[in-house]
Amino acid sequence: MGFIADIQKKYKTVSIVGMAKNAGKTTALNYLLEEAYDEGLRMGVTSTGRDGETSDLVFETDKPKVYLFEDTIVTVPEQLFGLAETSLEILKRTSCRTALGQVLLCRVARSGYVQIAGPGSIMEHKKLCAQMFEQGIDMIIIDGAIDRKSIADPATSDAIILSTGAVISRRIKNVVEETVHVVSVYKSPLVEDEKLRAILEKEDRDVFRILTIDKDYNVAQVPVRTALGAGPIVNDAIGEDTRFVYIPGAITERILDHISPAKLKQVTIVLPNPTKVFVGATRWQQLRKMGLHVQVLENIEVAAVTVNPFSPHGYSFDRDELLNAVKEALPGLPVVDVRVGGLDL
Amino acid sequence: MSNFTTATSTVDLTKIKPYGDTYNDGKVQMSFTLPVPDGEEAQEAARQYAKLMGMDEPSVTHHSDLGIGYTFFVVYGPVHHTVDYTKIRVTKVESHVFDRVECGEWIAKNIGRTITMVGASTGSDAHTVGIDAIMNMKGFHGHFGLERFKNVNAINMGSQVPNEELIAKAIEVNADAILVSQTVTQKDVHIKNLTNMVELCEAEGIRDHMLLLCGGPRISHELAQELGFDAGFGPETYAEHVCSYVMQEIVARGWVNKK
Repeated sequence: MGFIADIQKKYKTVSIVGMAKNAGKTTALNYLLEEAYDEGLRMGVTSTGRDGETSDLVFETDKPKVYLFEDTIVTVPEQLFGLAETSLEILKRTSCRTALGQVLLCRVARSGYVQIAGPGSIMEHKKLCAQMFEQGIDMIIIDGAIDRKSIADPATSDAIILSTGAVISRRIKNVVEETVHVVSVYKSPLVEDEKLRAILEKEDRDVFRILTIDKDYNVAQVPVRTALGAGPIVNDAIGEDTRFVYIPGAITERILDHISPAKLKQVTIVLPNPTKVFVGATRWQQLRKMGLHVQVLENIEVAAVTVNPFSPHGYSFDRDELLNAVKEALPGLPVVDVRVGGLDL
Repeated sequence: MSNFTTATSTVDLTKIKPYGDTYNDGKVQMSFTLPVPDGEEAQEAARQYAKLMGMDEPSVTHHSDLGIGYTFFVVYGPVHHTVDYTKIRVTKVESHVFDRVECGEWIAKNIGRTITMVGASTGSDAHTVGIDAIMNMKGFHGHFGLERFKNVNAINMGSQVPNEELIAKAIEVNADAILVSQTVTQKDVHIKNLTNMVELCEAEGIRDHMLLLCGGPRISHELAQELGFDAGFGPETYAEHVCSYVMQEIVARGWVNKK
């Protein structure tokens, strides 16, 4: 049985998230679609950016097109509709607007190459996915643009496929380190304290409030709308009895640098999900050693990791060496070279 | 028998070529630097390089030693490649462009409040020319900046502003739009910086009530779109383009009474 069938049994919406641009997301997408076709699965495909054009808009490197099989449901904005190399049947004009025009929900009438694009915002994707499922599909794949990781948000997708590759660094060690960092952040421990979870789950997800919670579960609001640029204020808000700091938005190195080492050790920082972490691999490890604890309300499932040993910047690694290095560093996770296929679980 | 008819060259839009002295002669001039000391070998290298790029009979019209083993060349010659102009499609920001005074009136009539835009040149970019051209009162090339627009509150944070500070400010003033300028960058660091901006906005949950715009000489609307921005403004766009887009989007998205 194929790789996709395993994933489809567990997850209905899967995002392909790239560690960097040209990490091989589109190749991974084509590979998954091909497997899905063999398995007889009816797929929905959308993108957080634009996909399937022949040459890359950012670096102008050759890039693979997206080949869609008959009966696939796909989102295509008006301006790209005419550029599809096959026939598409318009099912619905959605309310979602992009700079390339209104997003159309289409059925692929005959297999062929299609340029896909969807809204840039995560909220819009959520709505769009619901409309796609109304068309009776088995699974949705969201292709993430560039290195945008916010699409991994568990509110949008059940699981992600992480695409990594040579493009990240000229040294295999760095590629592996960066990849492991992302996977480990995504697997951050969940909030175990039931009382705390109960308090935080009552928070309105659209109203961002930074909270401190003390040992008796007294909640206090930090008087800022965002922790960005407000590291010192967050630091001041941490009192002797504070046990948790809930930050609904991003946490960055600049915020954490303003929290005193003693307070950093004393509290656990709680986030809605791991997409809020904007700290690099090296700094993250340093902070962890200094006593940084992060817990999340929701985790991100990493269904698989794909590797691409080629970089468009003109160098490549030995494919087995990279594949094995990533496999070794991520035991228990399916790792696949999408150009070769042949996943061994 | 005499035939004085000269060959008439006309422009075939499906196969356009550069114009030098006559139609379709394909003459192109280009400049580049090679990492070799100036000399006859260097000039031959430049000629061969131009040939590989599709130039027939290139001539080196200028060469100068840049010191420590580098030479700068200008090469001139005909190329035979053609482009089908009729098949070209460029995605542009689709909004009607009003002038400065009209913008102010339009906002008063259709939005009925002051709209706020916060802008900066972000990341490592120290160049203020782009954001100043759009935001500062004196503007650029005869086009006044947003500060001179009626009913617009324009906040220019300057250059080398970290993405987080720009977002923090936008949240503080409850901005309608964030303008990011990227003028000079190396090795595509502006791409990383721009996607980081989008990601931070998503994480902060402001992506659905603030417009996110970027601009600069290497930015196109298409690129901005691919990166996850709402719109991109490239060369030859001015404050009125930005303002026209922002105010019409505010209405289209139902943000007139935004709190």
